[in-house]
Amino acid sequence: MASKVHQITVWARGVVQDKEGRDIANGVASAAGRAGKFTQAFDNYVDLPDRVNVPLRKYARISDEEIEERYEYENATPEIVIVADATIVKGINILRGMEKGGTLVVATDRKPEEILKFIPNKDLLGTIVCVDAKAICGDQTVDFSGSEGGVDSLGIGQGISAPILGALARGTDLVTLDSLDAVVKNKEALHKGHEQAVVKALN
Amino acid sequence: MFNIPKDKEVPLGCVTPAPVTEQPMMITGNWREYRPVLEPEKCDLCMNCVVFCPDACFQLDEAEEMVVLNEKYCKGCNICINECATNALTEAYELDFEDGVVRLETPF
Repeated sequence: MASKVHQITVWARGVVQDKEGRDIANGVASAAGRAGKFTQAFDNYVDLPDRVNVPLRKYARISDEEIEERYEYENATPEIVIVADATIVKGINILRGMEKGGTLVVATDRKPEEILKFIPNKDLLGTIVCVDAKAICGDQTVDFSGSEGGVDSLGIGQGISAPILGALARGTDLVTLDSLDAVVKNKEALHKGHEQAVVKALN
Repeated sequence: MFNIPKDKEVPLGCVTPAPVTEQPMMITGNWREYRPVLEPEKCDLCMNCVVFCPDACFQLDEAEEMVVLNEKYCKGCNICINECATNALTEAYELDFEDGVVRLETPF
């Protein structure tokens, strides 16, 4: 039997956070890949054309063995959900398909309790991590470098994706801070996000 | 012609039923980060917001003599705040409110 594939779904705002969302998915995948896992990261193909501020998804998968469902282009049962803009929590069922005990990482200046207020199906969650990514590294990068097969001239993790990746390393064992350190460009923001993340265990 | 279950029926191409006042197949309220908030005492009913809203979210409530925002479709572009002649509209962060956003299962 094949080992479990860990699915990670990233929610971000269209265009303005396109690069950030992609950096989070790519960063997780390449960091785990450096640690010897089988990984893949890809953009959403399912629902929306990328327009300003639409909620959009980026996906990553991590597995100890070769990923069999490589060509399925949607994460049906995400184990970790990362939300790059907290207001997305209000308008979408971000935990759709999640099995009990999942992890939610939200980039927000609010407390975890205030975010949980907007999630009716919060009993699915095992851990929630909040990190004030905008306060750590200012504005997000608006850039299309690296999209649709283009060359990523900026590199992974210059904007708010760095602290979010740091917070993710606090909330889960799938990636370690050391392996992220080798991938992410803004290392200071990565470590700050790791330190300042507010982790709350539920249930 | 085809025996398609009613709930599985989809419109041809990108044709959707013509909206009369609202288009429930294109709910865009969850695009919003900041929402416009109206201070009624400052509003002089100049109708700038009604004219400039790209999604026709502002409508005049003639009985109440007040403009009303349809939050279900407001994308948060904040054009209305820029165009408001009396600064009656201000932006407010979406998480400060409990309601006003339709919670969708999928982005569309």
